Amino acid sequence: MAIATAGHIGVASHHDHIHPEPQSFIGKYIFSIDAKVIGIQYMVVGLLFFIVSGLLAEIVRAQLLTPTGAIVSNDTYNGVYSLHASGMIWMTIIPLVTGGFGNYVMPLMLGQRDVAFPWLNLVAFWMFPVAGVLLFGSFLVGAPDAGWTEYPPISLQGPPGTSLWCVAIFLVGISSSLTGINFLVTIFKMRAPGMTFTRMPLFVWAQMATAMLNMIATTALAAALAALFLERQFDIPFYDPGRGGSPVLWQHMFWFYSHPAVYIMILPAFGIVSEVFATFSRKPIFGYKMIAFSSIAIALLGFMVWAHHMFTSGMAPWLQLPFMILTMVVAVPTGVKIFSWLATLWGGKIEFHPAMLFSLGFLIVFTFGGITGVFLSSVPADLYFHGTYFVVAHIHYVLFGGSIFGIYAGVYYWWPKMTGRMMSYKLGVAHFWATFVAFNITFLPMHWVGLQGMPRRVAQYRPEFQFWNDVESIGSFILAGSTLIFLYAIAESMLKGKKAPANPWGARTLEWQVSSPPPYYNFKKIPAVLTNPYDFGEPLPYVGLVRDASNPEHPSTGRASSGTPAHA
Amino acid sequence: MAQHTAPQQKVDLGPGFWPVTIGLSIFNLIASYFIATTDLATYLPAAAAPAGEIDGLIKFMAVFGNAIFVYVTGFIIYFAIVWRRRASDAPDSIGIQVHDSPKLEIWWTAVPLVLMIALGVLSVKVWANLQSQSGDVLTMESIGHQFKYEFRYPKLKNSIYDEMHVPVGTPVALHVTSADVIHSFWVPQIRVKYDMVPGLVQTIRFTPNKTGTYPVICTEFCGTNHSNMAAKMVIDTPRDFNTWLTKQAQIQASGGGPVALTGGNAATGATLFSAKCASCHNANGGYEAKIVGPGLGKLASDPTHPMLVTGEKPDAAGISHILINGYQGPDKSQGKEGPSAGAMPNKAANALSNTDISNLTAYLLSLSAKKS
Amino acid sequence: MAVTSFSSLNTSHEAVHARYESVDSLYRETRDMRLLGFVLFLISDVVLFSAYIFAYLYLRNSVPNWPPINKDGHQLPRFDVAFAAINSCVLFGSGATMHFAMESWKHLKKPAFNMWMIATIVLGVLFLGGQAYEYHNAQVTWSGSTLGATFFTLTGLHGFHVFVGVIYLAVLYWQANKGVYTGSKYFGLTAGTLYWHFVDVIWVALFYLFYLM
Ligand code: HEA
Ligand code: HEA
Ligand code: HEC
Ligand code: CUA
Ligand SMILES: [Cu+2]
Repeated sequence: MAIATAGHIGVASHHDHIHPEPQSFIGKYIFSIDAKVIGIQYMVVGLLFFIVSGLLAEIVRAQLLTPTGAIVSNDTYNGVYSLHASGMIWMTIIPLVTGGFGNYVMPLMLGQRDVAFPWLNLVAFWMFPVAGVLLFGSFLVGAPDAGWTEYPPISLQGPPGTSLWCVAIFLVGISSSLTGINFLVTIFKMRAPGMTFTRMPLFVWAQMATAMLNMIATTALAAALAALFLERQFDIPFYDPGRGGSPVLWQHMFWFYSHPAVYIMILPAFGIVSEVFATFSRKPIFGYKMIAFSSIAIALLGFMVWAHHMFTSGMAPWLQLPFMILTMVVAVPTGVKIFSWLATLWGGKIEFHPAMLFSLGFLIVFTFGGITGVFLSSVPADLYFHGTYFVVAHIHYVLFGGSIFGIYAGVYYWWPKMTGRMMSYKLGVAHFWATFVAFNITFLPMHWVGLQGMPRRVAQYRPEFQFWNDVESIGSFILAGSTLIFLYAIAESMLKGKKAPANPWGARTLEWQVSSPPPYYNFKKIPAVLTNPYDFGEPLPYVGLVRDASNPEHPSTGRASSGTPAHA
Repeated sequence: MAQHTAPQQKVDLGPGFWPVTIGLSIFNLIASYFIATTDLATYLPAAAAPAGEIDGLIKFMAVFGNAIFVYVTGFIIYFAIVWRRRASDAPDSIGIQVHDSPKLEIWWTAVPLVLMIALGVLSVKVWANLQSQSGDVLTMESIGHQFKYEFRYPKLKNSIYDEMHVPVGTPVALHVTSADVIHSFWVPQIRVKYDMVPGLVQTIRFTPNKTGTYPVICTEFCGTNHSNMAAKMVIDTPRDFNTWLTKQAQIQASGGGPVALTGGNAATGATLFSAKCASCHNANGGYEAKIVGPGLGKLASDPTHPMLVTGEKPDAAGISHILINGYQGPDKSQGKEGPSAGAMPNKAANALSNTDISNLTAYLLSLSAKKS
Repeated sequence: MAVTSFSSLNTSHEAVHARYESVDSLYRETRDMRLLGFVLFLISDVVLFSAYIFAYLYLRNSVPNWPPINKDGHQLPRFDVAFAAINSCVLFGSGATMHFAMESWKHLKKPAFNMWMIATIVLGVLFLGGQAYEYHNAQVTWSGSTLGATFFTLTGLHGFHVFVGVIYLAVLYWQANKGVYTGSKYFGLTAGTLYWHFVDVIWVALFYLFYLM
């Protein structure tokens, strides 16, 4: 350790200078530079886009009720599923898990008042709703219809909305790149005193790995999108084989981003469930270091596997092998996480809070999706699976079962912190079970249908697949219904939820040591950190926390007296 | 700081740990046995050589995939039940404070790693067989179009559309590529597929081993009628195959060369049209101006009917295609299947020569050009 | 397991306090975040260039002959190395003058700093002029071939960076003379220098790829 210098708790540095809270409505809620407000803005807009993209998915499922296509024309269908996927990935999950939870929770967890560059944060946020409006607005001029992957040459022929799609995704891309840089600097330079890397909460580790991916991969996507835009609008040849371009070039550039992007979507969810498992098992997270480092390992490996989406696309056959092997290797660090969480459950005092239920559901469903991912990674097998509903099933097991379950867990977990109100325990449990069951009804049969030969991205299909497609559609309608429970629970909590105490779950990370919701400045004094935050039963490892009426001292172990009942 | 309360002596793993573990293991053994002994082909029919090997690979993956999933899920449920918080627990009671166990962690890194190495080795082996060049007896080509498959045989002068034949027992090297956008060539019964990429040729190697008719499916999104892009692959006995090939060659010899898609004479076409087609088609109105068949005046420029009733694009290729083959089936002109409008006679029934078709095509296209 | 509460920390307050002080000094050493932020930005910018360089190499390798043929069918010529070499020297020269400007600032030599800064800006503008001249006389067009597409996209992107850089340097020059920076606090100047060297280095790669390779 460095030599001790004179000083008292909360040395007078510019960090200790508390900015006055803005008072106007606009300064407070619209163009706020407070990471907490920006985080909530991300969540609200993201939830809105989630509903839109989800409703598009319901159109997809309604269409597939009959083999000839029940409700819309082929062209409309193609636009609908393309925007469904683009909206879910770029307008829902990525903004929610990075901009949303990252902004709200991470500075608090680090014992800070804000992120490193608050203004940059504000700019990055506002690109996101603008991009979302552009994306969904493309319906007005002819929605992009070649899937979220927009492979040329078909995307070169696509309707005008395809160019709008390029612009929209470019914008969110820049936004998440900026957020990535912002978060990295925040994590490297703005930890509370004493918070060494190995004392950071695991959610912060996850955000760090994600931020690295965001910062690097997203720029490559920007390059690819700009080139597609130029080729569509100004006839600059990059991808058109008739003019010396290469369609496979797009695939390389696209997947160089989009594979890391799937880890952008899952790593923060890993972070969320790590927090939830520790808190609701009342146990230190098992194998803290391995979980932390495996996030980094996954992020690094994530850059070296992109061509596993291109096994049938026409790259040199020998190149398939390194990509296959590296893809398989990703299963190892991911497995380390899964097993460590299992071991965290062992010997716990597990409480079936909705956040915990979603995390447990996540563990089951994501493992399933990860294993089908490994199936896809084997080249000869992928030559069979590729382009079928088997892949669609994999997508939804990891994205819905992984990222969305993680997001739900995060919402139930941090809701009292963010809003200062408790959420109905019963509704949460009902939401979980409805979602979990409906999810499996919807997406499990897709594996089978895909194996039997149903290709993806079709508006019509061979009649023999109707039975399972109908099952899937009915499942998806129940799934939409289960989302209504969630929306209702939110509304109920906001209207008449009980006031939340500072630390309803008896959690130990720093965000729970301030009032709910936290004051504008988060911490009156920046606290110091003595050890990692998961040792239940020990005194809290923080020095310098200011306690007052809004943030009373409370036992660091067990649960606070208020909050939800302890269940048997 | 951290206080390890887990005693150094024998760790009590909790109630029922070993019975549950043994139970899950027995379940996995039985499941593995069933997976390993089931012939995948009874559920997913196979008709050509790499299918067997790939099925073997899939079965291998299914065995360990199932095992891992069952263990993980089983332990989650079991832990969640035994280690749940009980009503009798004090509000501040906590779990057993263990932090890690290097031994365990090494195990659960090593076991998946070994499994992945095994899968890698097996995959590479199957992959190598897919690449092997030996014994290309029948070499042929398939070219993807929006939205049909073109097939070329070395012994045939002209292409065949939407139906291919291969002889059973003969290794086939099928070169695939595309004329416009990316398509793909997939016959589920062969298992393997490759994309048909414009400007790039890829080769699918297989050896048919079961006669029958199988679907060729496009799995790469290629436009409005991607859903309906399909062809038939017929696996014949060598004799049937030769008969078929000879017959095709004869048809092509008698029918003259291929239909010229450009250079038709619109004026000649116009005369021909009033003679042969005007009974059923109006040359002035759009699609709605029906007589027996749809009005043809705006064939290539009708935004409400962007496609032909066959689902093909209203260009020279698509139009001559319907003139050659005729058409009766669902109306796909709106990018969605509607009811059939009746039967359009084929080339023979309308007594058209290839030149007639070129001329009629030119005439029909000229109609749209004028109106738009 | 004993149930302890926050208050129990008070008993060992002394020890904790000492520890807190030592970590706090560590904390203050790492406060300047802007440099890291800027470096990270440059890294993601490198990825942007790399993506197009990858595209260039990929397209180049996917045809049998390079330069490829134009859209009207004629074989494209290679670029004129001589002119570009001179222009490159202008840019590299500006890198040197920028270095001297920074050194002068560190040694508190304000007039020398001003001179070197102006030299840098002038050389930057000269380079842009050379670029414009070359674009004007180029025998390839943006939309004619993949060579044109990658050439104009990459050099255009680079030229845009130089353009932004020139404006950036002008602002820095103005700020420096307004007294915004001092002998020990001059982060803006550091960032400007970094940026300018970055633009230089990218050009080395582009020059090799388009003129020499
Ligand atoms: C959150 C998003 C997410 C995540 C986390 C993953 C994770 C993985 N994915 Fe997935 N993937 C997608 C989203 C995601 N994927 C999407 C959206 C597509 C389709 C894109 C499109 O075409 O539209 C896709 C497509 C896709 C393909 C291409 C299929 C094709 O089009 O032909 C492949 C092929 O290799 C693949 C593989 C994998 C692998 C190996 C993992 C691994 O990371 C999984 C690792 C996890 C586990 C393995 C489970 C836990 C581990 C253990 C319990 C240890 C023991 C396990 C073993 C030894 C097996 N994915
Ligand atoms: C995060 C990612 C994500 C999520 C969450 C989902 C969610 C869903 N997806 Fe999606 N999907 C993708 C990502 C995702 N999908 C991707 C990447 C593709 C590939 C696309 C491509 O090929 O390019 C895809 C493709 C895809 C297909 C294949 C299309 C095809 O290939 O032709 C299908 C088909 O069933 C489908 C269905 C669904 C369903 C039923 C849901 C359900 O979970 C949705 C549940 C519904 C809701 C959540 C909305 C409910 C809301 C309300 C009821 C609120 C109403 C109230 C108010 C108006 C206030 N998806
Ligand atoms: C016996 C009546 C009949 C005759 C004769 C006939 N057609 Fe048709 N044609 C039809 C019908 C019916 C359809 C619509 C088929 C369907 O929708 O399934 C059709 C469809 C077409 C189409 C596609 C129209 C669209 O909008 O997609 C074209 C082109 C066409 N015919 C051209 C011709 C030409 C040229 C001739 C003369 C050589 C001809 N037809 C002779 C009945 C006829
Ligand atoms: Cu051809 Cu899809
Ligand atoms: Cu991937």
